[in-house]
Amino acid sequence: MAYQTFNRNTFDAFSQPMFFGEHVNVSRYDTQKYKIFEQLIEKQLSFFWRPEEVDLSTDRKDFANLPDHEKHIFLSNLKYQTLLDSIQGRSPNVALLPIVSLPELETWIETWSFSETIHSRSYTHIIRNVISDPASVFDDIVSNEYITKRAESVTKYYDDLIEGVTYYQNLGEGQHQINGETVDISLRDLKRKLYLTVASVNVLEAIRFYVSFACSFAFAERAKMEGNAKIIKLIARDEALHLTGTQHMLQIWAMGKDDPEMGEITKECREEVIEIFREAAEQEKEWAEYLFKDGSMIGLNKDILCQYVEYITNQRLAAIGLDSIFPTKQNPLPWINAWLVSDNVQVAPQEAEISSYLVGAIDSALSLEDFSDIEL
Amino acid sequence: MLAMNDKTDDLDSDFHLEDDAIDHQDFQLESPDVSDVSEESLPQPELYLPLGNPEAPQEEQQLEIQGFEKPVYAVQIDDMKEPLAFHFANNLLESLEAQGVQLPYQCREGYCGGCRTDLIEGEVAYLQEPMAWINEGEILPCCCVPKTPLKLKLKG
Repeated sequence: MAYQTFNRNTFDAFSQPMFFGEHVNVSRYDTQKYKIFEQLIEKQLSFFWRPEEVDLSTDRKDFANLPDHEKHIFLSNLKYQTLLDSIQGRSPNVALLPIVSLPELETWIETWSFSETIHSRSYTHIIRNVISDPASVFDDIVSNEYITKRAESVTKYYDDLIEGVTYYQNLGEGQHQINGETVDISLRDLKRKLYLTVASVNVLEAIRFYVSFACSFAFAERAKMEGNAKIIKLIARDEALHLTGTQHMLQIWAMGKDDPEMGEITKECREEVIEIFREAAEQEKEWAEYLFKDGSMIGLNKDILCQYVEYITNQRLAAIGLDSIFPTKQNPLPWINAWLVSDNVQVAPQEAEISSYLVGAIDSALSLEDFSDIEL
Repeated sequence: MLAMNDKTDDLDSDFHLEDDAIDHQDFQLESPDVSDVSEESLPQPELYLPLGNPEAPQEEQQLEIQGFEKPVYAVQIDDMKEPLAFHFANNLLESLEAQGVQLPYQCREGYCGGCRTDLIEGEVAYLQEPMAWINEGEILPCCCVPKTPLKLKLKG
């Protein structure tokens, strides 16, 4: 019952479900029950990047010249992303590692979480480069009500699961008196909590990040804050991969072969999952309103961003086999796709398409006077 | 030295330093009169420009090798009257885009699943194993090519 760092039991690794089976013992990757997680690990490792590789010196100048309402948009998004990646950098490890039963999935969770810590480091890199007082930005994350409100709905499923698993591993199933309260612990209920947690993480990585992504790319479309967009592009590439990871977990459960109970839970929780998606979409729309409260930015306003939220919500629902909940069918920001493509993600400025680099490299402005001292 | 002496004996059979007559010419400094050259005999009487968009995927293979012809499959899209063709693009997504069909996409490498499309009829071959989750009856156009004529239904 209690967590064992090295399980001494002998068991067939292939007969284990993804979660709540035997604790993992040997980290072996020669054979896998689900080879997709091994592929995800390899892909994520091949994506490795460091924020310091992206030059942000032009962004500092760009930021200083932004009007105040655009500074607000830029910084608010950074704060929100910092919050999301602070959660994602630790929670999959804390919540899922104690109950995982397959070595390839265990390592995928660790690799996934680790890449989120790179994202957190890159927000610090951006904030440190762009403004002179980074502390003011970080301090606001825990006190800004617009951010903390959403933190609550992101973290409650994680916290619920972590609490339940702690009791389960210490005390086992059944009724327990804990701090004067009666707590019912059943494996079935924990599996339900697990399902909802993974569904809410899927929503976090599928929808919540994309409002900020859209704003960063809208700045870069105007050749502003391009270093930042470069970093966000790398983050978006990672997030697309993480999203595939949670989609696979949800779909493997839905098929019911991995753990028949999880198959039943998938059916039971259908409506609840749709509500998690709807709640997230509504919160993101409120966030869009907060972002643009003092004015829109060129190329993006509240209405378009809300439509985009609805569009991607429908898309993500379809990916896990659920019906769309919003009428929006067309992508209102088709130019974003070009920013989300992974094949032209390059970090070194001389290889990249950062126009500020190219513009700075060659002075292409010529006038007749430039030829005045040339004689033929 | 002995061998060289042998050679000198029949030297003049190899080289003619003094030729008796020039019965052929390799080049000529003065060109012949151009006025009598007719229109038809010119190698290219007019400038050929490609019809339509020169950037569009080619209909024909540039090199024809027997037995290696690439089949051109018809790709029928739901709500579109005329069927399209799978041209010589790297994958189905590129081919559709080149013919004006807009599909959502993100990674274009098969791991995000952004371009998921319903396959109603036909079969596709994957060029690389797709990592994204694919439901039954769905394909990822970014990493596949048609194996047979296709009938597709776009999402949304």
